[in-house]
Amino acid sequence: MNSFERIESTIKGDPLDRRAFIPILSLYGARMTSCSIKKFYSDPEAYTAGQMAVYDEFKPDMLFGPFAFALIGAAFGSELKFSEFEAPNIKRPGVLSFAQWEKMALPDIDTNPYLLYFRESIRLISIACEGKVQIAACLPAPIDIPALVFGMDRWLELVLFESEQAELVLDKVNRFFVQLANCLFDEGAMVTFLPCGYASPAILPRNLVESLLRPKLRQALGQLKGPSILHHAGTIMLDHLDILTGLPSAIGYALLHTEGLSKARQILGPDPILLSGPHGPSLDQLESSQIEQISRSILEDRDREKDRHFILVTLGADVLYHTPPENLHAMRKALADVGWNAS
Amino acid sequence: MENIQSRLLEMIQKADRQGANNLLAAWSEEHGYEKLLKQILIPTLQHIGEEWRTSENFSIAQSYVAAKIVEDALFMTLKNKKDNVNTVSEKGPVVIGNIEDDFHSLGRRMVKTFLEADGWIVYDLGNDVTAEEFVDTAVEIGARVIGASAMMKTTAYNIKKLRKELDRRNLSGHIQLAVGGAVFMVSPNLEKEIGSDGSSSTAIDAPELFDELWEASLQQETVHE
Ligand code: B12
Repeated sequence: MNSFERIESTIKGDPLDRRAFIPILSLYGARMTSCSIKKFYSDPEAYTAGQMAVYDEFKPDMLFGPFAFALIGAAFGSELKFSEFEAPNIKRPGVLSFAQWEKMALPDIDTNPYLLYFRESIRLISIACEGKVQIAACLPAPIDIPALVFGMDRWLELVLFESEQAELVLDKVNRFFVQLANCLFDEGAMVTFLPCGYASPAILPRNLVESLLRPKLRQALGQLKGPSILHHAGTIMLDHLDILTGLPSAIGYALLHTEGLSKARQILGPDPILLSGPHGPSLDQLESSQIEQISRSILEDRDREKDRHFILVTLGADVLYHTPPENLHAMRKALADVGWNAS
Repeated sequence: MENIQSRLLEMIQKADRQGANNLLAAWSEEHGYEKLLKQILIPTLQHIGEEWRTSENFSIAQSYVAAKIVEDALFMTLKNKKDNVNTVSEKGPVVIGNIEDDFHSLGRRMVKTFLEADGWIVYDLGNDVTAEEFVDTAVEIGARVIGASAMMKTTAYNIKKLRKELDRRNLSGHIQLAVGGAVFMVSPNLEKEIGSDGSSSTAIDAPELFDELWEASLQQETVHE
């Protein structure tokens, strides 16, 4: 089975040769190719070389377009801060008030350099990997995009105290998100990975996620040309998983295994893909044997063993730059030994 | 819990900032603004802190609403303060900021609000503060605690420079180093690795941590005397 077939079979629930393996190794490509961070996050060819090096070393079942959310903020005028070994961060938000937001035009996917970088990277990876492996576009969910444009504080304030304005913001963000995501599907992405930080019970209470965010997410996801995987954004999600279940285009849900995957499966029902695994940004702190053990214990769980729609991933944000490669091989090792039982 | 406290809590949970402000203003008119913090706000915040520790479902949003209500209440108290009445017992001073290269201000700003509600004098140096700036300010104002916030691992590592600077000037112990921010929650070993003296996972718990660290600094001096 190649990666394409493996993922397709996981979606359909067909027998597999082994579980699919999706480590989030966007940043890691910079390490593999010793590329400077600035070049990596601005030059699609450099980014593609990184993903291909990741492919050669780890043979993951999915490669990623750039996981660099701050660049989405930059497309709206936010100022960036680059550091040596991580994805860029927002230094200053681009929009300070709702009035400013109302007046501004959405960034143009055909001319904005940051958006062209996302597009071109996905196009080049899809050419380079010649259909051997699936490609995911990693984008912030529309409910998180305003945090990158207004800053976390201001967006929280709008959601909490100015819900009418928040709705208008989301309507406009949705137009941008749908355009960009659909364009990335056209360039070769098979799926979008969408961290939904604002849907987490750690960030917002249930009533707001239900009444304000879900309808807007539904509206955006309903217009996508391809499938999406909703992602926990590195925090808890289980208690709000029911709110996200059944959204259009959502074929999968990535969740912390410590929250209880059997409970998650109960909430999701039998069909959606469940994705879980060790926490990516913590892999640098663990021994490879510990990582293998965590992966094994997830895969060997009785409920997981018979779950045909399960994929082993690294959770949270990108795997950190300094993580030793053997720590990632440890996950593959666990897969090779126990990952193929879903036949 | 007193009726007004539970009503306030309910309003915080519903993000009803205006309702909470009206409630607190009415109470203060009747009982006196100088009593608002000690009798109503601080006990309610303690209750929220407790709830947060025991429940997974207390969100950043709710504590943000609490912080905003506290800010409004502090403002209202100051505006209505009679010159001879000391509304807030003064603690500190302390210095806080986001460490060099870190720009995630939300957590730090919430820490500031809850410290001020507890009576601390807080010098907030803002984002992207170097080790030298932190220590210079602490020395200048006589702070015994520095609170450094970071959201990313790379920026959390910059806090090591702050520990080094305290060591270099022989101030470790006398000036205690508190740290916090999202990354400390997902990387439990990080706190030790960068050499902090303590941390709290929520802003509401920060006053308790700062009390402990202030005390530790005083203790340190009695040992050395
Ligand atoms: C919401 C979120 C986002 C949103 C919004 C981000 C934004 N604009 O700030 C989105 C989805 C857009 C996002 C993007 C990114 N994120 Co993000 N995000 C989060 C999430 C879920 C919550 C962070 C948050 O703001 N919480 C609210 C604040 C108020 O909480 P807090 O910082 O913890 O502060 C509280 C306490 O810690 C305490 N406190 C804070 N400071 C201090 C100081 C002292 C002295 C004390 C005592 C206490 C204290 O009080 C506060 C209130 O209670 C975390 C995961 C998590 N588990 O927390 C990841 C997380 C922070 N993100 C992460 C990453 C990597 C990113 C990206 C770089 C991803 C990428 N490759 O593009 C981008 C960067 C974007 C940017 N900022 O420029 C990682 C960092 C990992 C690491 N090891 O470095 C995390 C930890 C996710 C993970 N588990 O992997 N993110």
